[in-house]
Amino acid sequence: MAEEFNTESMLDIFLYESGQLLEKLEGIILEKQDADCFDDDDINEIFRVMHTIKGSSGVLMYENITKVTHKLEDVFYYLRESHPDDVPHMELVEKVLAVSDFVTGELDKLKNGETPDGDEKQLVEDLDEFLGRLKGEITKQGIQMPQANKHVEPTQFYITPVAGDDSHFYRISIHYRSDTQMSNLRAYSATYALKEVAEDLLYTPDDILSNEASADVIVAEGFHMLLQTKSSKEEVIALIDSSEAEEINFDELSKEEYGRALSEFGREEAEPAAAAPAATKDENNKEAKKEGPKPGDYVVKTKEAGKGKTLAKNQPKQQSIISVNVEKMDALMDLIGELVIAEAVVLQNPDLKVPGLELSNFQKASGQLSKITTELQEVIMSMRMMPLTNTFQKMRRIVFDVSRKLGKDIELEVIGENTEVDKNIIEHITDPLMHLVRNSVDHGIEENPEDRTSIGKPAKGKITLEAKNEGGKVYISVKDDGKGLSKEKLYQKALDKGLIENKAMSEFTEKEIFRFITLPGFSTKEEVTEYSGRGVGMDVVVKNIQSISGRLDISSVEFEGSEMTLVIPLTLAIINGIVVQVGNSPFVIETASIKEFVRVGEDSLISEPSGEEYIVLRGECYPFIRLNQRYDLPDSIDKIEEGIIVVLEHEGSQVCVLIDKLLQEQEIVVKPIPSYVRKVKGLSGCTQLGDGSIALILDIAGLLMHDGERR
Amino acid sequence: MAEELLKKEETGETEELLEDDDSQKGMFMTFQTGKEFFGISISYVNEIIAMQPIAAIPEVEDYVKGLINLRGKIIPVIDVRVRFKMEPCEYTDRTCIIVIDVKSTMIGLIVERLADVDTIAEDSIAPPPSLGRKEHEHNKYVYGLARTGDTVTLLLDPEKLIKQDDIVAAMEDVRKDEQS
Repeated sequence: MAEEFNTESMLDIFLYESGQLLEKLEGIILEKQDADCFDDDDINEIFRVMHTIKGSSGVLMYENITKVTHKLEDVFYYLRESHPDDVPHMELVEKVLAVSDFVTGELDKLKNGETPDGDEKQLVEDLDEFLGRLKGEITKQGIQMPQANKHVEPTQFYITPVAGDDSHFYRISIHYRSDTQMSNLRAYSATYALKEVAEDLLYTPDDILSNEASADVIVAEGFHMLLQTKSSKEEVIALIDSSEAEEINFDELSKEEYGRALSEFGREEAEPAAAAPAATKDENNKEAKKEGPKPGDYVVKTKEAGKGKTLAKNQPKQQSIISVNVEKMDALMDLIGELVIAEAVVLQNPDLKVPGLELSNFQKASGQLSKITTELQEVIMSMRMMPLTNTFQKMRRIVFDVSRKLGKDIELEVIGENTEVDKNIIEHITDPLMHLVRNSVDHGIEENPEDRTSIGKPAKGKITLEAKNEGGKVYISVKDDGKGLSKEKLYQKALDKGLIENKAMSEFTEKEIFRFITLPGFSTKEEVTEYSGRGVGMDVVVKNIQSISGRLDISSVEFEGSEMTLVIPLTLAIINGIVVQVGNSPFVIETASIKEFVRVGEDSLISEPSGEEYIVLRGECYPFIRLNQRYDLPDSIDKIEEGIIVVLEHEGSQVCVLIDKLLQEQEIVVKPIPSYVRKVKGLSGCTQLGDGSIALILDIAGLLMHDGERR
Repeated sequence: MAEELLKKEETGETEELLEDDDSQKGMFMTFQTGKEFFGISISYVNEIIAMQPIAAIPEVEDYVKGLINLRGKIIPVIDVRVRFKMEPCEYTDRTCIIVIDVKSTMIGLIVERLADVDTIAEDSIAPPPSLGRKEHEHNKYVYGLARTGDTVTLLLDPEKLIKQDDIVAAMEDVRKDEQS
C-alpha cells in the first residue's frame, strides 16, 4: 500500500516537473528561434532539462521517453563539448521541438492513466542521423574533436564527473555479520553517507532498495562500492557506519585500476565492450570521462557533482514554488468562507446585545480577528491568480509552427505576459486565444511578402500578443499587421451564405459587419487549410468567451491589420456586488453592470396597454422590470417612488429594475445553484452573505434576454 | 486535506457497503406526514438538521422550497408534503430537514416530524397495490409497503423522489411555451 502510494506521488512529481521543464525548454527554443545558434547557457540548460527528464523517466521505467531524451542529450552534449560552428540552427530547433512534443504527448498519456507507448524509433533515428551529420561535417573541416568523442560510441556516453588530479579512487567492500537484519538498508545508508563526498559512486548489488532479496546477497557476498572522491581515506571511513559490519575492506586504487574496476562492475551490462575501453582510454587524457551504464544504473551524484558548480551560476533566480492540488485550494477557500460566516455569527451574536454590557476587550479582540480573516481571504484569492506566461508560451509555439508550415515570415511580440488572471479563466481562454492567433497567422498576414512590400509594409509580418489589466477586466489582444478585414468581402460572404438578412451593406455598422465572422458557418478563407477555414471556430471562440462572461471586440483597417481583443473578468469566483433586497429575498447585482441608482416618480413611468412598462430618464426610454412581479416575491414595494430604480447595462443594452432597498456592497464568492434546481433565467448563481443567509445573483444578460423573449 | 477527505469518504463508503450487508440492511428512517408514515433506507440519509431559513428561488416547482446553507454547502430543499401533492402545512419546531445523498446529489427533505429508525424485514415489504392502473404510475416513488405493528409505512425510493418525470415534463412545457 505504502509503495503504491509512493509510485503514485512519484508519478505526480515526475509529470509536474517534466511538464515544467518542457515549458521552460520551449521557452528557450522559441526565444532563440531566430538567432543563429544557441549560446552556451541555452545549451547547458537544454542539456540539463533533457538529462533530468531522462533520469526521472528512467527511474519510472518509461523507456521510450528515456531513449528520446537521451538522444537529444547526446546531441547537446556534443554541442556543449565541441562547439561546432555551422550548426543548422533551424533544423536543431525542429529536432528539439519534435522531442518536446513527443515527451509532452507521452506525459499526456500518463496523465490520462494510459501507458506511454509512443514509438520513439523514428525520432531516435532522426537524431542519430542529425548527430552523425554534425560530427561528419566537423571532421571534414578538420577541426579537432574532443578526444572523448572519438573513443566513445556516442549512444553510450553517460556524463560522469570530471576526475580531477586530486581525486582518489577506492574500492570498498563491506561484509556484514550474518545475522544482520535489513543489510540492504544499511548498505543504502552507507551509500547515502558517501554521496556527500562522492564524485562518482557505483555499487553492487545495485537494487538494494527496490529488491529485498538483495539483503541476502549482501550478507552472503558483501557489499561492494567503487568511489571516486576528493576526500581522504580517513574521512571516507568515518562516514561509513560500521556498527554491524564484520569487515570493511578499503583499497585505494590508481586511476587505471579504477577504470578497470569500473568495467568489471559494468560486466553485467549490455555493452561492456563500449564501457570498458571508454573508461580506460579516458584516463590517458584529462577530458571528461564517460562510461556506458544504462539509465537504470545507479550512478549516484552525477547530477550534482558533475555539473552542480556550473549550473549554480546559470540558474535563473527562481521563486520557490510548490504545486498544490486545486481541490485542496478549493477546500481551503470554502473553509475560509465558512470561517468568515462563523465570525459574523459570533461577533453579532444576539447574546452580546445585553443593554449596558461593557465589552471593550471583546471589541478589541474581535477587531483583530476580523482583520486576520480579511487578510486570509485576500491571500487565498491571490493564490488562485496565475500569470499568463504559460498561455502565451503556447502561442509562441503556434506562431512558430503555423508560420513555418505556411512559409510566412512572422515575428511575434508579446507584451504583458505577467498579467495575472484567475486559474479557471486561464483554462477557458487558452483555446479561444489559440484560435485567434492561428487565424492571424493564417488569414491575417499576407501570403506573399511582395503584397506587403508593395504597400510599404516590412516584408516580415508581425503579430502582437498583449495582455493588460484594467478596471477589473483583463484585455488580451491579438494584433496583426496583415491585410485586415474587408467589409465588402465579409458582407458579400455573409449574404451569399444566407447568414444575414438581405439588407444593404450601408445598413450595418462597421462593428456589426466585423461581427459576421463570429457567425456559425462563416469562413472567409477560400480554401480550407490545416489550420483554419472550416468555419467552425470564431463562433466557438465567442461562445467560450461568453461562458466566462467575457466578450470579443474586433477592430480592423483594411490593408493595415486587425485586432481581436478578448475582454474577460479578472476572476470568476469573486465578484464585486451590491446586495439589494426585494420583498424578503436578498439579491446580488454585479457592481460593474450597474450604471446608476435613481428614485423616480410615477410620472416617469409609461405603461403600454399590453402591460409592458418603460421608464423615461432624462429623455431616454428604458425597459422596466419589476423584480417582485417577475419572480412573484411577496411583501415588496409596488410603488416606484418608494422603491429604488437600478439602471443596469449589459453589452450596450440597458434595463431598469425596481428593487425595495439597498443593503450593502461587498465582495462575494460566486457559487453555482445546485444542478438539481431547474435553471432560472436571470439568475446566474448564488452566494452566502455575511450572516450565512443565501442571496441569488442576478444575471443581467439573462434578464435582458428574458425580457426580449416575452415581448 | 482534500486527499484526506477523499480517503475518508472512500473508507466511509466501504464501511457503508459493509454495513449495507449487515447492520444497515433493512433499516429505515421513518417520518410522519399527515397520518401516513414514510420510510427511507438509512443508507441514503446523511444527517438530520433542524429547520432553518430557506432562500426561495423564483420560477421553480412549488415543492422546491429553495436553498439552505449547510456549513458552506448550498443545497436545495424540497417539501415532501407538497411533493406528495398534499396541502402544505405550517413549519413547527418538530419540522426538520433530512439531508439525503442520492448519487452524490445532496438534497434536503422537509418533513413534518421524524418518527423512528426501524428495522423492516424484507419479507414484510409488499409491493404497492396497483389497482389495475399500471400505466398511471402516480405512486412510483413508493416502491413498497411495510407493516410494522399496526401502522403501514410507505417506503420511498429517493432516486425517484428527487429526479422525476414531472420536472422533465415541466421543462418540456416551458420549451413549448418558448417556441410558440
